[in-house]
Amino acid sequence: MVADSDRPSADQEATAPLRVVGITKWYGEQRALADVSFDIRRGEILGLIGPNGSGKTTLLETVAGLLPVNAGSVLWQRSSVPQHRRREVVFYLPDGVRPWDGQHVIRVLEFFAFAFGRQPAELDEVARSVGLEEVLGKRVSALSKGYARRLMLALALLTPHPVLLMDEPFDGFDIRQTREIMNLMRRVGAQGRTFTIAIHQLADAERVCDRFILLAYGRVCGVGSLDDLRTSINQPTARLEDVFLALT
Amino acid sequence: MRSPDVMTIRRASRRPLMTKEVGELLSGRALWTMLLILCPLVGFSFFQAVALYGEASAAARDQPQLATSLSPLDGILVPTFGAFYVAVTLLFPFVAIRALGREKETGALKLLVQLPYPIPTLVAAKLAAVTAAWLVTLIPTASALLLWLSFGGHLNALETSSLLFGHLLYGLLIGAIALFAAAISDNSATAAIVTLALTIGSWVLDFALAGQSGVLGWVSRLSLTQALRTFEQGLLSAALVLGMCVAIAGFVTLAAIWLHPGTSLDKKFARTILCVGIAGALLAIATQLRKSSDVSEDKRNSFPVADQRALAGLNEPLIITVHLAPEDPRYVDLQRNVLSKLERIVPNVTIRLVTIGQSVIRSAGEVSYGEIEYSYGGRSAKSRSTSHREALPLLYGLAGIPAPTPQPGADYPGYPLVADGWIALPWFFVALPLLIAVAWWWWNRRAPHIPAQFAKNGGQL
Repeated sequence: MVADSDRPSADQEATAPLRVVGITKWYGEQRALADVSFDIRRGEILGLIGPNGSGKTTLLETVAGLLPVNAGSVLWQRSSVPQHRRREVVFYLPDGVRPWDGQHVIRVLEFFAFAFGRQPAELDEVARSVGLEEVLGKRVSALSKGYARRLMLALALLTPHPVLLMDEPFDGFDIRQTREIMNLMRRVGAQGRTFTIAIHQLADAERVCDRFILLAYGRVCGVGSLDDLRTSINQPTARLEDVFLALT
Repeated sequence: MRSPDVMTIRRASRRPLMTKEVGELLSGRALWTMLLILCPLVGFSFFQAVALYGEASAAARDQPQLATSLSPLDGILVPTFGAFYVAVTLLFPFVAIRALGREKETGALKLLVQLPYPIPTLVAAKLAAVTAAWLVTLIPTASALLLWLSFGGHLNALETSSLLFGHLLYGLLIGAIALFAAAISDNSATAAIVTLALTIGSWVLDFALAGQSGVLGWVSRLSLTQALRTFEQGLLSAALVLGMCVAIAGFVTLAAIWLHPGTSLDKKFARTILCVGIAGALLAIATQLRKSSDVSEDKRNSFPVADQRALAGLNEPLIITVHLAPEDPRYVDLQRNVLSKLERIVPNVTIRLVTIGQSVIRSAGEVSYGEIEYSYGGRSAKSRSTSHREALPLLYGLAGIPAPTPQPGADYPGYPLVADGWIALPWFFVALPLLIAVAWWWWNRRAPHIPAQFAKNGGQL
């Protein structure tokens, strides 16, 4: 249940259709997430930043409904979305996955495209936009790390979900590729889709993200745009790295 | 909950899912390796079966009455399928586990469960792919049957189909167990250990508890190998078919319960208990079914036709009290020749084994040991014979009906055949493995169809 005071106004709802409220997750005796709350706004790129082991992946997987939680809920347009229906709202792209590695790239893309009722032209567009044309006839197992990342990104873009959760989406890309993908994400974001990305490269995060969630020891240490976070530490010219060190 | 109105995941077509599942199984090494191993296994069993059948048939030339005991079901089908059974028990779990275990290992499961398919659909698609894989593994055995026909051998369509159906159910059961094991395990190796513990554990049950009565006897009947024996005897039992279907559905449901990583352990355990409870109740109902059909061509599971008709008319309770230990060979004979047939045809029959829990040695000293008492219509009679030729006249006497006149022309003729099985060896040891290896190579080397539009340049979101 969500208390009335926690409920967003209509304006907030229009800009932040997805709210994460009080998520707590324990692994046995160890608390991975402690009362984590934030909202995700339409069309933004939200960066989830924190040191290793801070709970970034756990948070993304709990929001996606891929991990059970001890407490907390996810609201979509003011309604609680049960764990088994999260996949109707968000799509989560895990880190380090080479899906169906014995299959050809084109087969994996077609599987996703047809499962989500995409037309061949849409598949064509997505494959081109992430630069997969050259490797469509290769098996997934034969892809380089960068191309495997592109494939994962293509799969995410083939889904119709309004909110995409991605774990380390730039891992494996060189600087040029990273910028290409950032530009692509901005173009997709401009169409109203939202990205929430767990990222440890702070320079990349500063370049691409509109807002940030700083996570440490399973707790939210700060939420907001870079300017908001600078204000909170009284350092108006601080870089994200300085903010991160100050708040976590 | 109000559905998200930005988008609604619509029901997705199942075709891409099925294509993916079958493609996954065919792209793995397990299925092809199993096929290659099956060739010599099935081939040698078939060759030996043909040779032994030929020797027995040669003897029947001199003594035509021996021909009636020559049934291709016992002589060819059961031994050939026996090799297939061993391979399905020991190797098929590795094929079936791949359908799910690989996705768990690579993390692709996290993508799969987010697709617009209900979890039961995902598991059903995997079971369908496992079924398709089982059909592929049937190729060497099917080729053996075709060779037998090409030798001029006889196969009865009904008993062959029934045996095939039994093996299909057995294969699906192994597949369902493997899917469940993969669903609860973190990796394929653990899943394989869990599956083999169940399948090979069945053999242990068979060896350790064979001939036991009471609870141990009931436990021994849970053995997976017992399931096939009924089909191998040419019997299509409603209880067995329903029981196997319930077991398959139960393991598949358990796999579905344990598949989603986002479901809490509490919920998984609660659903598991519910599933096991329902399956147990259905299995208990299944054991009460007595309907069965004797599909063997020689009607080995039935009395002669005239007797069958007469016995079907015995409407009063028939109580048979057996003073034999379950492990006594005479009891096994009696069970096969009389009791099981009576249970199938007489509407109301109760069999009491009065030596339950006692061994042959302990019981043999009793005066009554070896007696079989038949009680019907307030009268009773005793016999020590395990043959229906003595038991049935006793029953007719108790029922006060005349023994029926045997119907001429209904005898099983037998199908003796002396065939040269050597031709099977190059087929199973060279030609078929070569064909399979070429098919494997072709499958792995083939280039996928790339849609024509990718030849053009451009394309931006």
